[in-house]
Amino acid sequence: MASHAEITASLRAFQSGYSKNKRLKIMNRDWDRVVLVKAEDIESEHTLILKDGELSLMEGNNGRADLIVAADSETLADMFYGDITPTEPYMNGTLKITGSEDDIVRLDFISLMIWGE
Amino acid sequence: MKRVVSVSLGSSRRDHRVEVELLGEKFEISRRGTDGDFDKALALLKELDGRVDAIGLGGIDVFLYAGKKRYAVEDGLKLMAAVKKTPVVDGSGLKNTLERETVYYLREHTDLLPPGVKVLMVSAVDRFGMAEALNELGCEVTFGDLIFSAGIPYPIRTIGELEEIAARILPEMVKLPFHMLYPTGKKQDSQDEEKVQKYGHYYQEARVIAGDYHLVRRYMPGLTGQTIVTNTTTAADVDFLREKGAGCLVTTTPEFQGRSFGTNVMEGVMVALLHKPWAEITPGEYLDLLKRLNFKPRILPLA
Repeated sequence: MASHAEITASLRAFQSGYSKNKRLKIMNRDWDRVVLVKAEDIESEHTLILKDGELSLMEGNNGRADLIVAADSETLADMFYGDITPTEPYMNGTLKITGSEDDIVRLDFISLMIWGE
Repeated sequence: MKRVVSVSLGSSRRDHRVEVELLGEKFEISRRGTDGDFDKALALLKELDGRVDAIGLGGIDVFLYAGKKRYAVEDGLKLMAAVKKTPVVDGSGLKNTLERETVYYLREHTDLLPPGVKVLMVSAVDRFGMAEALNELGCEVTFGDLIFSAGIPYPIRTIGELEEIAARILPEMVKLPFHMLYPTGKKQDSQDEEKVQKYGHYYQEARVIAGDYHLVRRYMPGLTGQTIVTNTTTAADVDFLREKGAGCLVTTTPEFQGRSFGTNVMEGVMVALLHKPWAEITPGEYLDLLKRLNFKPRILPLA
């Protein structure tokens, strides 16, 4: 089980990876979304905000999520650190993403562009 | 008579059946769509296994290519694994040969592909041979893989960048359900109006639009005489392209009774003619057989 602080640290690593990737920012210029990241086994919520290609992170839930990413704390931390890809936990049901299929593919894509080979 | 059946995840509205004679052998070629129903496709494949001479998988790619790397689509592999006795193909082997040759043919025999012409390939990883040939001949190619398959408005301009992005994302993306990456079933009968508005300008900026017909169709805006290089077109598709303002249709596979078949079907026919396991057939053997069959691209002026 990962702690809230570990999930926060993993999301900061994800945000840092995103921010260093100029091409990814260009790719997401049109994709303004609020993503709620919610742990299912501990009290932990974070909000990722994508606006004009920039990604920001806040702790807690701002109540305006377009997409909800929910999993156990360990899976969330592993995923945002890039130790695992989202595809496998998504396909086996460990990771649940609520939102449109296009948005789910887009989120998967961002993660792969940051952490992919 | 040899029987080749294409089992497709696409719309059953496109089903058809023809009889043709090729190199002295009679063939019955048919296409059976399952309207995006994966389980129905699996059941049909099992039913046909051992009862026909070759099976083509349509509406899905089993193998995607970028550079020397090959990526296997998991849903495609599941369909392939359902067939134990009959040779089963997805068209990727033939595409690599036939579609390269189509590009060379157009350069040599027509004025449709002059050096520097702007080409939009709606998707390149499903027909990398065509992408490489267009690039080799000095066309100015925009690869729309991210735009049209992932909804990301980022035109890829070089083969190198295509390979690099593919290496990052495809090893994982191929594990997703195929319908998340490609229009299957009823989606093939309609246009995505929001994306037509958003991404239509990529079509209008090009003089040649190449690639998978269902992607080409789904996002096509009004055109101004562009050439479309694709296959699997029906008579209704020709009318659609004409209404949209396309100037010319080039199909990479030959026309039988008004219909250009998918490469999976043609590859099935070739496997049945070659009497060899699919995995053992070389590009040279496909090329040789294409010459013997005298297959040439069909060029249909629409204006």
